[in-house]
Amino acid sequence: MSLKNLREATRIYLVDPLKLISRKKSGLVALFGLLIYIIMALFGPYLVPLDITPKPGKRYLPPSLEHPLGTDFEGKDIFSQIVNGAWDVLYVAFLASSFTILIATLLGSISGFKGGFVDSIIMAVDEILLTIPQFPLLVVLAALVRLDNFTLALVLGVLSWPALARAIRAQILSLKERDFIEAARALGLGLKHIIFVEMIPNLLPYIVVSWILSMTGAIYSQVGLVFLGFVPFTSHNWGVMINLAWTWGAIYHKDSVWYIISPIFAIIFFQLCTISFASSLEEILNPRLREVR
Amino acid sequence: MIELETKGTLTVNEPVISIDNLTVEYVSPRGVIKAVRGVSLKVYRGETLFIVGESGSGKSTLGLAMLNIVPRPGRIAGGSITYHIDGRNVNILDLPLEDQRAFRWKNVAMVFQSALNSLNPVLRIWDQMYDTIESHDKHISREEVYEKVRRLLYLVRLDPDRVLKAYPHQLSGGMRQRVMIALALLLDPKVLILDEPTTALDLLTQKSIMEVLKNIKKELGLTMIFITHDLSLAAELADRVAVMYAGKLVELGDVYDIFYRPRHPYTFALMKTVPKLTSIDEELYPIPGSPPDMANLPPGCKFHPRCPYATRACSDVEPSEEWLTPSHLVACHRHRDLSLRVEAR
Amino acid sequence: MSLKNLLRAVLGNYLFKRALRAFGIIVAASTITFFIIRLMPSNPIEIFINQMMSAYGMSYEDAKAMALALFTIDLDKPLHEQYFEYVTNIIRGNLGTSISISPGTPVMNVVTAFLPWTLFSVSISLFSSFLLGITLGMIAAYRRGGIFDRVVSTVAAVTSAIPGYLLGILIVVFIGVRFGLINYMRGAYSAGLTPGFNLPFIVDVFLHLAAPFTTYVLSTWGGWMLSMKANTVAVLGEDYVTVARAKGLPEGRIRTQYVGRNAMLPLFTSLAISLGFIFGGSTLIENVFVYRGVGRLLWSSINARDYTVMQAVFLIITISVVVSNFLADLIYSLIDPRVRVGG
Ligand SMILES: Nc1ncnc2c1ncn2[C@@H]1O[C@H](COP(=O)(O)OP(=O)(O)OP(=O)(O)O)[C@@H](O)[C@H]1O
Ligand SMILES: [Mg+2]
Repeated sequence: MSLKNLREATRIYLVDPLKLISRKKSGLVALFGLLIYIIMALFGPYLVPLDITPKPGKRYLPPSLEHPLGTDFEGKDIFSQIVNGAWDVLYVAFLASSFTILIATLLGSISGFKGGFVDSIIMAVDEILLTIPQFPLLVVLAALVRLDNFTLALVLGVLSWPALARAIRAQILSLKERDFIEAARALGLGLKHIIFVEMIPNLLPYIVVSWILSMTGAIYSQVGLVFLGFVPFTSHNWGVMINLAWTWGAIYHKDSVWYIISPIFAIIFFQLCTISFASSLEEILNPRLREVR
Repeated sequence: MIELETKGTLTVNEPVISIDNLTVEYVSPRGVIKAVRGVSLKVYRGETLFIVGESGSGKSTLGLAMLNIVPRPGRIAGGSITYHIDGRNVNILDLPLEDQRAFRWKNVAMVFQSALNSLNPVLRIWDQMYDTIESHDKHISREEVYEKVRRLLYLVRLDPDRVLKAYPHQLSGGMRQRVMIALALLLDPKVLILDEPTTALDLLTQKSIMEVLKNIKKELGLTMIFITHDLSLAAELADRVAVMYAGKLVELGDVYDIFYRPRHPYTFALMKTVPKLTSIDEELYPIPGSPPDMANLPPGCKFHPRCPYATRACSDVEPSEEWLTPSHLVACHRHRDLSLRVEAR
Repeated sequence: MSLKNLLRAVLGNYLFKRALRAFGIIVAASTITFFIIRLMPSNPIEIFINQMMSAYGMSYEDAKAMALALFTIDLDKPLHEQYFEYVTNIIRGNLGTSISISPGTPVMNVVTAFLPWTLFSVSISLFSSFLLGITLGMIAAYRRGGIFDRVVSTVAAVTSAIPGYLLGILIVVFIGVRFGLINYMRGAYSAGLTPGFNLPFIVDVFLHLAAPFTTYVLSTWGGWMLSMKANTVAVLGEDYVTVARAKGLPEGRIRTQYVGRNAMLPLFTSLAISLGFIFGGSTLIENVFVYRGVGRLLWSSINARDYTVMQAVFLIITISVVVSNFLADLIYSLIDPRVRVGG
């Protein structure tokens, strides 16, 4: 029965939506954009190798066929840096939002389901984390601990779950009122069964959309930290590019505009695609919204 | 046993509202919903008219249209609503906006179906009373307003000192309903529309609101239009009853005609749902079938899929309205060949 | 009996609860900072002691004594006493002494020199973007589906999707550098001027505010606009608005007292949350514009390894957020009658 439920859920929440999204224009465009980013992150380095040789004679060249986005302060190709810088950003975003979702779903459901003392404790921690400004805390942590990509993602996950956990708890509370949960309880099915087989599939649309959306928050923080210079520059990514362009004073150079705006727009377009995709997905997955359209 | 109270016969049949061929539509994603489809109706001065019908038949929409306040996405697509007040004939749909504003509530007021949500949650009851009077009469003094409000609150059996200071959420459902009734009477309207004034209240509260309404009818003698499912209420209070089905009038007549000599199969079925006094079961004889999908109405007579007497003609052509007597109107192809009998109860 | 009732009334009081909560969060934030500077694997006190020993050849004891003086934590006491002392010190406003930014100065003095600039720039920006957002949101709601609504909603969605500091950089690049206005995009006032209440200085301050202000407003107005629009659309469907029209109220009164007030109410909660966010964002935006606020100070303190200032800035930012949350709650309880009673 549980397997059937899950398969059913996959059909309802994954296969059908993909069919549906192909009908929604803005969602389709966003999905296409995201695919380009993913391809860039996964295969970019093989398609466009990173240009690492400084060429003093070719500093700050404007875009050309050879250098689609021009060159940087050392004469290196910017386009190759953009392509190769995708992995880091997407990796941290993906990982961080996965951690966020995991923690939020777990704590949110426990809180909503168990109620009582456990609920109070979780909600108190939730409230404290929600109030303490996240980015300054991150900055302080980054100043003291070496945050590699994985640790950064983990820390982001640990700091970002509260809002989502709250929402999931609220949803659980309202789901709890409904008949089928009552029925499951009456049948004596365990808490685990109820959470993972009955509730998660019902919450799935919400969780998927939040998972996508929380990537934007992770990118905001990650790139922000790199921009401030508080995480080590282990590899080339968009944040590092912005930081270098900024600290090298590239912005004052007449032809240097491409160097700084390329990574900025790479990030902006990613954020826009993500948000637009998430909101189309929400429209499609949420039956209530769907009916209205 | 429901008893029809004896009504004082209306001496003059002078209309106060003439609704002519009124059409109201809602533009929804599922298409255009015609909630009111060409209704023509006269409301006479001093009478109590009941509009009855199933949920979704367009009763509230008709009421809202009479004030020209059908909310978006609804719009009045055609027809006219003419008020005959102070010797003038005014089509409210043609009035300039500012005149409409001044016209409403002074001439026609309404107690909404959802009286519980009819009060602004962030304003005290007093403020919601005061702003109503003030926007129609700039020069009135606070004392005069207070005097008037106090009198009305007594009329609906509320304690003014307690209620006026309160915010809506501090009042019970029944109290809010009474406040709405008092609010509706604030400007001495000529016509009062009451949309389901007793639903959503418990039985005891319903009873006492009914007492209040009867009292108002007796004391103020204004024209009242009741919109309701509650036929026993109609039996008690109505002079005339209009039966709506799928946005159209299917039968209209005085209360005896409708209750004892219904000529439309729908009215007949409706009368069979009236609970007898000996039984508390409301759904004694539910009408078979389900109300029509307003976005997708059947052809011909809208009632034919549920009508036990339907013939071919019924599914092809929508019947037109016919006056059987000067006061009894019916829209049914078969009203001549059917003899629908309501046993005396 | 009356004492019990009084106690119950106080404990059940909405504002009392909120105040208690605010206090709890401040204590929690102090705990976190205590944990960070004292217990973390590479905590600042250890770093500092090691630094003193290796750079100046101090003995461990001397370095520890110095750390004790600067951080006002007595490392010889048991941990729970250290913690207790630390939290009491914070509540007393004693946050230690600056290590390197302004050696010897109490940290409190350093921070309070920077805090007003952040409060000034952030509150003006937040207020303006709130006003702009709710005005446009309400207009869009009244004309929903129209061209104004569609254009404004799209722009709002796009601008709020862009991280604020990236907008700031774009402003520097495309306006500052291009139009030679870069001098007004660095610092809170021009280098030569002495702060004071004179016209040239005030004008200068506002000129320097322009760029961060625009950045804050651009990145936050969209959120206000979209939620105000959604709320207004919802309120317009409420029965009491239809009743207000039926009552023949003037349109102006309906818009302000019936639609506007009810649509705005829920936004005050978001106002509190967004305060936290905008304070956090100031860490980045102030660094783009080298603005003299606490966000910039945080950056400087980290670069100068001034950990006492760093912990103080973090605490001050948190306390500001908590206090403004509390103020937002207070305002909310004043304008929503449903909150005022009971709670
Ligand atoms: N805002 C709206 N948008 C779309 N359709 C609407 C709207 N309001 C009403 N309708 C449709 O108009 C029709 C008539 O509604 P109305 O509220 O007038 O019915 P009613 O007879 O008052 O029903 P009830 O007894 O349930 O109050 C219904 O079919 C309803 O679906
Ligand atoms: Mg109705």
